[in-house]
Amino acid sequence: MGKEAQRSFKRSRWMLGAAATVSAAALALTGCSSGSPSSSNNTNQKVTLTFSQWWAPEMPSGALQKIADDFHKGHPNITVKLISAPFASLQTQTISQAASGTLPDIVGLDGSWVNPLYKQGALYNLTDAMKAAKYDDSDLASQVAFKGSTYMIPVVNFVYPLFTNDAILAKAGITTPPTTWSQFTDDAKKISQSDGGAKGWVVPLGTTNPNGAQNDILSWAWASGGSMLKNGQPNLTGNADVTGAVNMVKDLVTSNAVLPGANSLQETDKVTNFINGRVGMMVDSLAHVTTITKGAPDLKFTVSAQPVKDGYSGTKGMLTASWGIGISAKTQHPAQAWQFIQYLMSKDTNSKLSTLANGFPGNKTSKPDFTGADPHFQAAFGIYQKSKPVNEFTGLPAADQLMTSFLTEFQKSVAGQESTSTMLQNVQAQWKKQF
Amino acid sequence: MTTSPPDTVMIARPSRRRPSHPHRGRRRPFEPYLLIAPTVLLVAGLMVVPVIIVIAYSLFDNVVTNQNPQFVGLANYLTILADPNFWNAVGNTVIFTVASVVIHMIIGVGFALMLNSKLVHKVPRVIFRAIYILPWIFTASVVAVLWRLLLDPSGVINYLLRALGILQEAVPWLGTPATALLAVTVINIWSGYPFFMISLLAGLQGVPSDLYEASRVDGAGLIRQFFSVTLPALRPILFSMALLDLLWTTQQFTLIWATTGGGPINHTEVLSTYTYKLAFNSYQFSLASTSAVLILLASLFVAIFYVRQQKKASLF
Amino acid sequence: MSIAIRTRTKRNVGRVFIYLALLVGAMFAGFPVLWMLSSSFKSNANIFAYPPKLFDSSFSLQPYVAVLTDPVKIGYFVNSYIVAISVVIITLVIALLAAYVFSRYEFRFKSIIRVVIIGVQAVPPITLLIPFFGIMVGLHLYNTYQGLILTYVVFTLPYAIIMMTAYFDSLPRELDEAARVDGAGSLSVLWRILVPVSVPGMVSVGLYTFMISWNEYLFALTLTQTDDRRTVPVGIQLLMGQNNYLWNEVMAMSILGSIPVLVLFLIFQRYFIGGLAAGAVKS
Repeated sequence: MGKEAQRSFKRSRWMLGAAATVSAAALALTGCSSGSPSSSNNTNQKVTLTFSQWWAPEMPSGALQKIADDFHKGHPNITVKLISAPFASLQTQTISQAASGTLPDIVGLDGSWVNPLYKQGALYNLTDAMKAAKYDDSDLASQVAFKGSTYMIPVVNFVYPLFTNDAILAKAGITTPPTTWSQFTDDAKKISQSDGGAKGWVVPLGTTNPNGAQNDILSWAWASGGSMLKNGQPNLTGNADVTGAVNMVKDLVTSNAVLPGANSLQETDKVTNFINGRVGMMVDSLAHVTTITKGAPDLKFTVSAQPVKDGYSGTKGMLTASWGIGISAKTQHPAQAWQFIQYLMSKDTNSKLSTLANGFPGNKTSKPDFTGADPHFQAAFGIYQKSKPVNEFTGLPAADQLMTSFLTEFQKSVAGQESTSTMLQNVQAQWKKQF
Repeated sequence: MTTSPPDTVMIARPSRRRPSHPHRGRRRPFEPYLLIAPTVLLVAGLMVVPVIIVIAYSLFDNVVTNQNPQFVGLANYLTILADPNFWNAVGNTVIFTVASVVIHMIIGVGFALMLNSKLVHKVPRVIFRAIYILPWIFTASVVAVLWRLLLDPSGVINYLLRALGILQEAVPWLGTPATALLAVTVINIWSGYPFFMISLLAGLQGVPSDLYEASRVDGAGLIRQFFSVTLPALRPILFSMALLDLLWTTQQFTLIWATTGGGPINHTEVLSTYTYKLAFNSYQFSLASTSAVLILLASLFVAIFYVRQQKKASLF
Repeated sequence: MSIAIRTRTKRNVGRVFIYLALLVGAMFAGFPVLWMLSSSFKSNANIFAYPPKLFDSSFSLQPYVAVLTDPVKIGYFVNSYIVAISVVIITLVIALLAAYVFSRYEFRFKSIIRVVIIGVQAVPPITLLIPFFGIMVGLHLYNTYQGLILTYVVFTLPYAIIMMTAYFDSLPRELDEAARVDGAGSLSVLWRILVPVSVPGMVSVGLYTFMISWNEYLFALTLTQTDDRRTVPVGIQLLMGQNNYLWNEVMAMSILGSIPVLVLFLIFQRYFIGGLAAGAVKS
């Protein structure tokens, strides 16, 4: 422990002196500063922008940096510095940074917590940025807006199809993945009763990251064209689609057709159990195809659309989560920041980015590059093009709290403490408090 | 160079410290203030100031995600105190904390005694010390991931329990309302006891061996020695540790959050997760600050109690 | 002769019992860590395989190689060391001064200060996060070593002060008086008499302080922004992404982080041995 210790001891001797003195204990040199010193819109000045995101580790090593470097080649006056953030604490970190004014210039955003950031006044009005840059936004597949102005643009979309383990289904006598709720329910039960110890389905009801409410319960209603909102307000009571979805999931849980311990399962448990052949079906992010093929190369699986309510024949909804992007309201260089976003949303770059991330482009005209890719991606893209991407929690206030109350009441309902209609009434009451 | 200080008066008195009379230094009245200055400055600047800000937050309708906070006085306190979830969290916190502290103490004393025993050879002693301190070295998020893995229905603990015939079916320890609080308490005990063991080991070193000799000469067996020599000597340390553990366990957040998120149907909802949800799920920073202030008030009682005890103990 | 044999038998029986108890304790303490070690050698998928095996066919050193050959990750370790060691030294110095005062002096605000120091520990850090963060940014300590170090000093001071005060309280004043009679001033008494005798207490405080600084996550995450200031807990968390989880590297990084700490502990633990205090009082 030689050199490091010596260096740090020398340093600490200095700090010892500083700390022991009565006054100057808190004086320090300025640490690494984010962003460059003042002077706003002179586009000829060299500018460094900081971009916080959780995307780099989800793509091949160095891929995102290369995209940033390519941008720099095209805009030599702008350097984009990538800052990585751990996904689990992203929400806490972003809101804290916004509160203390240290939000990086460009921010990677998730739809479930863009609302409080907007309320904090932490986000730059992108509609203004687009107007200033004379940008035509017709290529954007979607924008997240509040009071008519955009604050977040989804860059890459991740869809959630139904994954089915061919071998496990075959063992239970099922040849094709289910397409309706009743087929799904039957299949799940059949699988759970067949030999081999696998369960039909997995539903994570854990509240640490309460996405289960969105991904595994309400998605059923959305897939069948249903909605949990009416005029932007919660509409859970007397909602046939939502009631049907809740009842179906409840039935599967109480009849042991799902993996045990659902109450504490988290989203990551879906794919790990699927890889290990303990569950036959799951609704999961398409991005996990790579995880599956790497972890269990011999596992044959199929990707299909999430089953719809019996008798539904309209456009299927497809649960979609996105990587969103926004600009900090306090940035010194909004014009340059917008240029980077524009670059990411441009047809070719967006296509490249989505291919690298195993997602689908946020630019309507882009197509992911499927050459050499796993065939499941192309299959999913086909489904995506025929479906309507949906995620009603994007932009909602306190989305995590909404999902947590939903899950907690659902757990109560599964435990037999209340009926589905009571459950939905309770959830509705709790949701109304947040709106 | 300093000359004989105020304590000259004290030297004449018998050996026990007797700070009973409000006594100031005669020759160097500023000395204590100077020595305590760094502490006071740091704690005041970096602890007390944020706490005051938090108290201030609790008096507004909402801060941070609200650009126009309105002063509402004590309204938030009424809201929190009327919330049944708050009291549920209090109850769980009490159970979780008391169980953790008591068992930490028992395991800490037990292991410290074992490791301190003369019957153990030198090399095994070192090896066991190293093993016993292991749970403490890992960061909470890794401990949480590890225990989720261990306690999973398809994890190794269920596997072993079934192999040994103790269980018929795998139990989802973290997912069953009845066992979740027990499970997180066990995890907390596992990850925290080494600290007490270390402190008690240090304390055991300070017990003069002639006291043991004296009691052995009096014919006392091992158990008697423990109760009449060891325990009394360790009492001040045990007391301090228990108190601190009480305060720290109340703050325990990551272990519970990462494993159960407040638990199946709020069964492992403790004050720290309750407060976190208010802050970062509902974005009610004022309510969260209110909850924090309530926790602070409760612990100030504990702190005052401790300081009083220390004062009383020094009179003997 | 028979008495000696009886005593020896009693000793041996006692020995067996103690060793058995130690083994049971070691299983409780060590099994999860053993599992962590075993997971660090498995492939990510096999960590969750059933039936669980200690070592399986996917055994590989790859996770360790991945961590050790990544300069960014090595940087996390370096940062953690710099921060932790600095915190230990600073906290010990300040705590010793404060403990000396609390133990040996009486003055007006003593009780209040003590209550405040102990009491503020219980405020949930998550609520302190935003105000504290604001203060740090205001002091220009964001994303610096100094910011983290000061933060952890403040976190660990209360315990350090309490412990050292209790330790000093147990050291009789005769020690002080003897030195003062010889003409030593207060600081001399502290450094030359009390401190050498309090080494076991200081070691346990030092260990505690090191652990807290080493393992703390929330403030490490909040107060640092770039990889050149981040610490190991943040580094570990970065391995758990949104879709891509590197469980085996998480375990490997954790094990790698713990080895030096364990070594440190083994080095310092000899200061637990021997009643240094007992010896000083007698003489």
